[in-house]
Amino acid sequence: MNYVEWLRVRNLLRTTAIILAILVVLAVILRISVSRYMSPDAWVAHMSLDPGTKVTHTVLPGGTKRTTILDPSEPSTVVIDDHGYSGKHIVITEPTSRAHKEQQAHNIGIGSIQVHESRHGSLTTTVIDTNGSVPMLYYMALADVVALIVATILAAPLAREIDGHLEIALTRPCSRVRYALEVIGADAVGILAASVMTIAAFYLVQLLFESARLDFSGINARAIAMGVTLPLAWYALLCAATTWLNRSYGAVLGFAWPVTILIGALTLIPPGNVVALFVHDVAWVLSRLNPLTYVSFASPNDNGTLDYTGAHFALRLSIEVLMFVVYGAIAILKWQRVEA
Amino acid sequence: MSITITNLRKYYGKSAAVDDFTLEIPSATVFGLLGPNGAGKTTTFKCMLGLARPTSGRILYDGKPLMPATFEQIAYVPERSVLYDWMTVEEHVEMNRRAFAKFSPARAFELLETFNVERQKRARALSKGMRTAVMVAMAFARNAEILVLDEPTGGLDPVNQRHVLSLMINEAAKGNSIIFSSHQIGQVERAAENIAVMDRGRLVLEGLVDDLKADRKIVEGIFPDVTFTLDGIANDPRVARSDRTERIVRLLVTGGAADIASRLSSAGAMAVRVLDLNLEDIFLYAVSPANATTDVVVRESSS
Repeated sequence: MNYVEWLRVRNLLRTTAIILAILVVLAVILRISVSRYMSPDAWVAHMSLDPGTKVTHTVLPGGTKRTTILDPSEPSTVVIDDHGYSGKHIVITEPTSRAHKEQQAHNIGIGSIQVHESRHGSLTTTVIDTNGSVPMLYYMALADVVALIVATILAAPLAREIDGHLEIALTRPCSRVRYALEVIGADAVGILAASVMTIAAFYLVQLLFESARLDFSGINARAIAMGVTLPLAWYALLCAATTWLNRSYGAVLGFAWPVTILIGALTLIPPGNVVALFVHDVAWVLSRLNPLTYVSFASPNDNGTLDYTGAHFALRLSIEVLMFVVYGAIAILKWQRVEA
Repeated sequence: MSITITNLRKYYGKSAAVDDFTLEIPSATVFGLLGPNGAGKTTTFKCMLGLARPTSGRILYDGKPLMPATFEQIAYVPERSVLYDWMTVEEHVEMNRRAFAKFSPARAFELLETFNVERQKRARALSKGMRTAVMVAMAFARNAEILVLDEPTGGLDPVNQRHVLSLMINEAAKGNSIIFSSHQIGQVERAAENIAVMDRGRLVLEGLVDDLKADRKIVEGIFPDVTFTLDGIANDPRVARSDRTERIVRLLVTGGAADIASRLSSAGAMAVRVLDLNLEDIFLYAVSPANATTDVVVRESSS
């Protein structure tokens, strides 16, 4: 691995680690601050304020603390099984008039919290489990934000050498291609490391609040694949652009995001007249060169489970991989031709 | 390891930075490359090291073209700082240790200590001279067979300049080759055995310093008035150039100085002197056009 590039990566990862550590510290402060609100006792105390409400506490054979709240006036029943750090299982039974009427069954998953709502005649039962597994999709989304920032900062490794250090870079006993691959390899490791660090930090934050279990199955494997390739393809795009423009690399990196957002916005222009149509079409063509265009977003389907919108996930992933390879090759091609 | 440069040309657009440059640099020697600003010295170095692609010509190291592995044997000090501003001196040492098999960190730190460079300092905190010192220390710690040094004393104080010259001479004594350029001709004269002088991309003079100095003399004649003729003396093959300033004529001769002096007397010169040249004189005569005003300082050798 190229030592100079690794030092750059190390310095950036150090900064990333400091920022993530600050976020974890803030989460610790938040956790301490809300600790008393997170106890079922607080909810129970609040709910039992209603006149006529009856609250009973029992301990089940396994050690689970069960709290039952009966409100005869509604009538509604809430049963809270507190498994301690392993989460809670809450069953709320209430008249249908107070609950959603649109569907017979309704599922919502937010992080580790799973909510299942079902109707049985005039009663609706809502089951809340707070110990569900967290889809990796969420983690990858957060990790990609950090990874894309890191990729943008690192994405001019060859241009940085061209800008005043070629005499060092090109007088080493290795070929130019190998040198470029070492440099890009160091950056790729750095980008992936930033993703892993982000996932670790947010996992730690989650652990502060509950027992966290990560879900790597099904859609999550695809989320990981997309999450890994997207920042690498983005990095390669900027790497190619900065290598060809060498001394203007700072401007390329600085304007990369504004230009990307601008082009994205221009593709949304309704083609009402010739000018708008032309702008739209140019922006559309340009956006095809951007790896961010091919990101597949996941969203809940009718069953409440997450799935990728749009088809051709494999095609989109292939395009991301292809962009990483092609843009990387373009950068190396230019690198082979540079002169001091 | 010897270096053979054959018909080297390097054009930037239509402008020739190096033009039909041919040179043989033997192994185990200190070789000085001289020339005025823009003569093509740095471009020649860059072509030698593959940093610039020659327009035409060949450069061979022991008869073989430059390969990546050849850089294990070549150390280069460019004329400007190429250090990474954000890296410490110690990290530069580590960078070289990882890149070059024969690099000696102990030797590098020893040299840095000699130059009074603090190893913990970042390059951006170093003065111009200190940066040069770091690059020189890295090069001399490489145990390379060839050291290409472009203005290796730039910004250094006189003590450290002298130290760099000593290092160069020591390396040559160990059997390694030093090729260096400098605007300080006194340094070249002190360290170099061979020199080549470039002007406008071309090789204009080459040889052993001692031979060049021994062969070249100035024969100066003063005539009674400005209307005199040299009777073909200026066309003598031993006369490399002639400069006339009113009643005075100066002939740069590459041999037979006494004979030329005698012919000048016969041509009517009322006073004739034969003068020795130092390397600076040789350089200035090589790169300045005939009859140009030169500040050549000449010393009388024998009358």
